[in-house]
Amino acid sequence: MIDPQVVILGLLLGGVYALMASGLTLIFGVMRVVNLAHGALIVLAAYFAYYLYETLSIDPLVSMVLALPVFFVLGVALYRVLFPRIEGSDRFGEMTVLLTFGLAFLIEGLMSFFFTGIFRTTDTGYSTDAVFIGDIFIPTGQLFSVIASAILLIGLWAFLKFTRLGYAVRATIQNRDAAQLVGVNVRGVSTISFGIGMALAGAAGTLVSFMFSFFPSRHWQWLAILLALIVVGGMGSIKGAVISALTLAVLSSLVTDQISPEWAPLSFYGVLFLMLMIRPHGLFGKKVRI
Amino acid sequence: MAGTVDTSTSKTGAKTPRVNRSKWIVLACVLAFVALLPLARFLDSYNYVLQVGIIILMWIAMTSGWNILSGYTGYTSLGHNVFFGVGAYVGGIMLVEYGISPFVTAPLAGLVALILGAFAGLITFRARGPAFIISTIALLLVIFLLMDNWEYVGGSNGLSLPLPPIDVTWVKVPFYYAMMVAAILSVMLGYRVAHSKFGLALRAIAADEVKAEVAGLDTRRFKLMAYALSAFFPGVVGAIWGYSLTYLRPTAFFAISVAAQFVLMALIGGRGTVAGPVIGATFMILLNELSVTYLGFSEINLAFTGLIMVLALLFFPLGLVGTLRSRNKLPAWLDWD
Repeated sequence: MIDPQVVILGLLLGGVYALMASGLTLIFGVMRVVNLAHGALIVLAAYFAYYLYETLSIDPLVSMVLALPVFFVLGVALYRVLFPRIEGSDRFGEMTVLLTFGLAFLIEGLMSFFFTGIFRTTDTGYSTDAVFIGDIFIPTGQLFSVIASAILLIGLWAFLKFTRLGYAVRATIQNRDAAQLVGVNVRGVSTISFGIGMALAGAAGTLVSFMFSFFPSRHWQWLAILLALIVVGGMGSIKGAVISALTLAVLSSLVTDQISPEWAPLSFYGVLFLMLMIRPHGLFGKKVRI
Repeated sequence: MAGTVDTSTSKTGAKTPRVNRSKWIVLACVLAFVALLPLARFLDSYNYVLQVGIIILMWIAMTSGWNILSGYTGYTSLGHNVFFGVGAYVGGIMLVEYGISPFVTAPLAGLVALILGAFAGLITFRARGPAFIISTIALLLVIFLLMDNWEYVGGSNGLSLPLPPIDVTWVKVPFYYAMMVAAILSVMLGYRVAHSKFGLALRAIAADEVKAEVAGLDTRRFKLMAYALSAFFPGVVGAIWGYSLTYLRPTAFFAISVAAQFVLMALIGGRGTVAGPVIGATFMILLNELSVTYLGFSEINLAFTGLIMVLALLFFPLGLVGTLRSRNKLPAWLDWD
């Protein structure tokens, strides 16, 4: 028997996963970079919100707005430092994976050095509160974060759909060489997209800070889920990432409810392997060799 | 530890007419040093020295294995410690259930890892490039999850093994020699692969898979073979290492930071070269020991791992062996390709 409560909780979780995964898949779509440091930056943003709340009592939802420009700038800086050097390399895709793998350890190590490995949660008033709609109870914190995610995702969609820059980003996702040929500044677009992807990761991190307990090495668990989501959705497809985030989060809630919470992550990896066997390019991915 | 390859190259060396004698002398000296290291029994920090030796030899075997898949074909696996862990558990279960020493069952553990590698390849090779790498991470996490929840092997509490029936003064010696044999054999395998048509096919796949396929190579079969072979030695040394720990815990084997060591060592030594894993493993383990001894931080060590990986990729992508070779400064006794 499927409990509607479980489905609702899954959707709330999926909304935030969708925000986390959208930045990752955007970065991949534009630059063919799988950013393995995405999870580490999400955790970094969670610490950002945690310390702002602890020291200055700034609400994490306000920190989210602050995190957008801060992590955008951080993203642009990281891009400038890391990627131009290897841009011409014939193994670019693989190099970027290894580079961001190293970056993830660097960030994790620095976080454990400065913030220690203690479990943290930003303990706002609403993080333990809940509202009832009929029989269904909705944790207020998760409701806030899913609304915030939805606003950001709609903003991202509007940016891609209605601005000139967004148009250039979509052109670059579709065909990098052709975009360059018709006059898109592909490197500029890449830099800005990386910044936007990081800004989305930063925003997601501030939301995560009051939804889950976190610690420096927690990012691997999230990263693994996000990677599964973007492969299942089709790498580079934001629509695919959002759809797979919502469905797989519901699936994992159902597994938690019906079987046991330990096996919930398996719903992500299991679907990932199934998808690889049936449709290696994912739901909405391009059927090309990468 | 560089001399562990000595026995493998001497065979082919005899066939080539111009034998560089000094090369063999250096290699023989290094190998003799490695083989006689347990004589340090008569020194102070003897067990420490042997333990470092064991770890270095173990990582030579593991990284040489990884190198067959990820060094030559360019399909990077970020989950190769899955085979290390599976090997450890195979050895552990055989010991606990049937009382057979992991020194005997280590090849069996390697074989199980090899079969698992072939199966993993069947699924992960559906994808290419980044999606392949992602699926290797997912494989690691799936097996981690399974081992963490499988009560038969103790789940996340782990599995305790009986202590090796050896006097404590000598207990490291059999582990040391077992790791030495594994390291030598793994480098020999690496050498054979590098100098075979199979190795040539793998390099062709790395250079341009579509062209390799058009030229008539059964790329799928070669990739599967490479995956399976690359899993063997991590499985073998996993069984031995698990026995030396006497306690198997999923996090000790399946943590993703262990996977990073494969990449880092191969990268520092030089991917796709026979000597690279040997140099990389030796260098990184010694560096790690020095930094733990003199700096003592453990959290910052992880940050250093990451920093070195980033710097190596940006400024030093060929690794020690590759860079020296490209400048024609690679000493002859390290040139095994």
